Amino acid sequence: MSQVPEHIRIVEEVFSRYRSFVYVGKKLLRWDAVGKVAGRAPIFTADFVSRYRDALYVYSVRTKYAHALIKKLDVGEILNYPGVIKVIIARDIPGINDVGYVIPDQPLIADRKVRYVGDVLALVVARDYYIAREAAERIHVEYEKLPVITNPLDVIDLETLSERKHVLIHDERGSDVVARYRIRRGDVDRGFREADVVVEGEYKTQFQEHAYLEPEAALAVPESDGGVTVIVTTQCPFEARRAIARVLGLPQGLVRVIAPLMGGGFGGKEDVGNVIGAKAALAAYLTGRPAIIIYTREESFISHSKRHPMIALYRHGAKKDGTLVAVEARIVLDTGAYASLGPFVAWRATVHSVGPYRVPYAKVDTVAVYTNNVYAGAFRGFGNPQVHFAVERQMDLLAEELGMDPVDLRFKNILREGDETVHGQLMSRDLGVGLEEALRRAVNLSNWYVKRRKYSAESKGLLRKGIGVAVLWHGNSIGVEGADYSSVSLIINSDGSVTFRTGLTDFGQGALWGLVLIASEILGVPPKYFIIERADTSAVPNSGPTVASRTTVMGGAATVNAAYKLRQRLNEVASRILDCAPSDVEIKVPDVFCRSSPSRKVSWRDIIEEANWLGVPLQEYGYYRAPLAAWDEDTGQGAPYITYTFGAVIAEVTVDVETGEVTVNRIYTVYDVGKVINREGVEHQAESGAIQGLGYALMEELIHDAEGRVMNANLSTYYIPTAADTPEIIYDWVESRYKRGPFGAKGLGEPSLVGIAAAIANAVSHALGVKINELPITPEKVYLILKKSGKLVLDS
Amino acid sequence: MSDDEYPLVKIRLRVDGKNYEVYVKPYERLIDVLRYKLGIVSVREGCGRGECGSCVVLMNGELVPSCLVLAVRADGSEITTVAGLAPEGKIHAVQKALLDIHAVQCGFCIPGVALAIKWLLDKNPNPSDDEIKEVLSGHYCRCGSYLRFIKAVKIASKYIREGKIYFDIKEVIT
Repeated sequence: MSQVPEHIRIVEEVFSRYRSFVYVGKKLLRWDAVGKVAGRAPIFTADFVSRYRDALYVYSVRTKYAHALIKKLDVGEILNYPGVIKVIIARDIPGINDVGYVIPDQPLIADRKVRYVGDVLALVVARDYYIAREAAERIHVEYEKLPVITNPLDVIDLETLSERKHVLIHDERGSDVVARYRIRRGDVDRGFREADVVVEGEYKTQFQEHAYLEPEAALAVPESDGGVTVIVTTQCPFEARRAIARVLGLPQGLVRVIAPLMGGGFGGKEDVGNVIGAKAALAAYLTGRPAIIIYTREESFISHSKRHPMIALYRHGAKKDGTLVAVEARIVLDTGAYASLGPFVAWRATVHSVGPYRVPYAKVDTVAVYTNNVYAGAFRGFGNPQVHFAVERQMDLLAEELGMDPVDLRFKNILREGDETVHGQLMSRDLGVGLEEALRRAVNLSNWYVKRRKYSAESKGLLRKGIGVAVLWHGNSIGVEGADYSSVSLIINSDGSVTFRTGLTDFGQGALWGLVLIASEILGVPPKYFIIERADTSAVPNSGPTVASRTTVMGGAATVNAAYKLRQRLNEVASRILDCAPSDVEIKVPDVFCRSSPSRKVSWRDIIEEANWLGVPLQEYGYYRAPLAAWDEDTGQGAPYITYTFGAVIAEVTVDVETGEVTVNRIYTVYDVGKVINREGVEHQAESGAIQGLGYALMEELIHDAEGRVMNANLSTYYIPTAADTPEIIYDWVESRYKRGPFGAKGLGEPSLVGIAAAIANAVSHALGVKINELPITPEKVYLILKKSGKLVLDS
Repeated sequence: MSDDEYPLVKIRLRVDGKNYEVYVKPYERLIDVLRYKLGIVSVREGCGRGECGSCVVLMNGELVPSCLVLAVRADGSEITTVAGLAPEGKIHAVQKALLDIHAVQCGFCIPGVALAIKWLLDKNPNPSDDEIKEVLSGHYCRCGSYLRFIKAVKIASKYIREGKIYFDIKEVIT
């Protein structure tokens, strides 16, 4: 018998024991809502600025060109400007001049060359922001301009996937290919020989900007021990600490990072905190005074990571009855000037590249390359929305070719319990495989078959209606990207309240509230007794990054561990006072009593006091390490993720054939989340993912000119959905429980965006009877597609 | 912009019922004075261009983005921020409605949204969906709480019509 570690055994025991719930699955008002509407107390990083009145402001002087060698840099004139305290250039950095996240490829301050328009030449530290900005104009730089590459296909050949000859952006690495991944399953040529029909297509997606409403900010204070405390907008305080300590040349223990609540993150604040935190820390460390940095919206746009654009060639082969036999794909991702999370994004894209289907033969190659565009990194979905757009368009092409309904084709091929994925991973019952049920419910909710037929028959007039479907999967947590662990602390205070601490952060999603509901359920202590502290590297051990939809699954499993152990001890203490068996003890704070004889009762406060007298510790640290993931680099075979969230999305649209404008009328989503923990949270995710996905599908695109300059670096020119664009959103949940998730839960943050653009694209294609191969589906694009296909002739 | 080039100017503001006298640079924006000189943190900068709606305040009863107003232009005006919608210890019907419908996610936009709803309901106690969307489309919410904002307008409108203007914060926390 193999040894199951205790932390997994506890999660499995809790999974099998609980069937009814008091707090889990209920819609309870999150802990931070009242403070956020009341508007009296500071919440976000920049809200704390007015508490540091003698603080200095840090301004980033950025490059004029996207690709150039720095021949000469003179900051003397800035230094002479009244009010300027210090100018920091690369050689002033005491530690290592690098803030690269996965690969050490990104200097904090450019030393030798610049690679994109966000690169920084110097930091001006001055008495106020206006002075710093004004003084920054006085920089003198001599550049040697290099050719600017904005098209990834100038770096890589899409046919052969070999690197083209070009002036290297990362000459120090000797190649501008950042990462390559592949899947080889069976002989794909044989697969295509067995196919009765084959469809192929080239798909393109764009740079998407997170546009979190809170721009990046950091506040650093020098400490008496020679270290520095940094309050910063970061999803990953321990990653920020690692980066800042490296830049300052300090041991990690001398750098304290505090991550307040954030005004949105969506993955974008996974690594930007390292950059902005290091800038503020550097200024504070070198001047000995508090230092503040707050990005303007334009700076935020041009300097933090984006969603990777994708160019992909796909070929699908199927039998006459619709059975998929072969998929071949070549996928190129543009990671911009720096790797950021690019290698991991490329890996996730590869893992999910064939969609949630049974595919006996597959050959997939993914390449991520550098360009001089703004760098791409983590963004909700992490490579998955891109490949789902391509795969789900391909499935619709296949359905059309076969004369099948798109839903029927999907029912024919989707992964069910007992199937093997394209990586050879068994979809066992323990994982929770609820895709079929999700698709069935989405079809029923939307009345799919009736509408599909109706809209097909009515394809006349100026306003055309369409309905489209997409199914999706999304591997939970980080898989083989890194050591996958998390942790929380629970501390019962003498007044009966419970302090909840974790290094996981909240950027609006409210996932920490789900963890509190888990602890409440196990301890029997209502959520209102809990105090959620802000993430602080001096108060908690590393809980792993707040990424990859992992808070509920991984942080939840850690919470189960902490709460379970505390509850065992509380039961022991109560059993002594109440004189009944520990298993008979019921905790329903403020009361603690015997289940078999409820009149034998004591108060919660009495139990706490007794525990303190008896020497029973009332604090517990919960740790969870996910079962090991597996991935063979040569074949892409293994078990890449611990489990998958599944889902089905159906979108209804109206297209104006005169203007090309697409209106989304309704979006139906059904996600298999294993178990709903935080009902308010899952509803928020369903709406949020749908709306952000709609923006991705129809209007959002960060545009670079040929010189690598960003053409739409503010919200006045980069469009995101508003209340007026928001469709009706109808959702439902499937609960196919994951045996090693807290009460069976799986993640939802990212999956809620993954299938939206694909479903909308399929709906537009249905409405117009044309192929949609590129995002975003703007009115101009629709107009040109109609014109090209000869369908612009109006027949009304 | 050295100190001697631009002397300080004294302005008077009445913010959330309190009178202030502040010295500002002629180029300083109202948002900076509110946030960094008066410590009113709920007025938040999202874009600096009057696009996102996060920094709106009611200035003499009108909804304005405080990032586009020079502080000197606000001299003598009466300003209401979200914290001024209700007396200490209480929240306004609009805030209560946002909580009822679970509209709060990251919350960065919420103060602006609450003020916009208040402004709308002052002008039109029973607005249509299209009127609501028109006003709200000046307020970006990247978390996507729009459908909840629309419902919150209706709930707040009902509270106000019933004469329920203020709610005790203690009663809201369950």
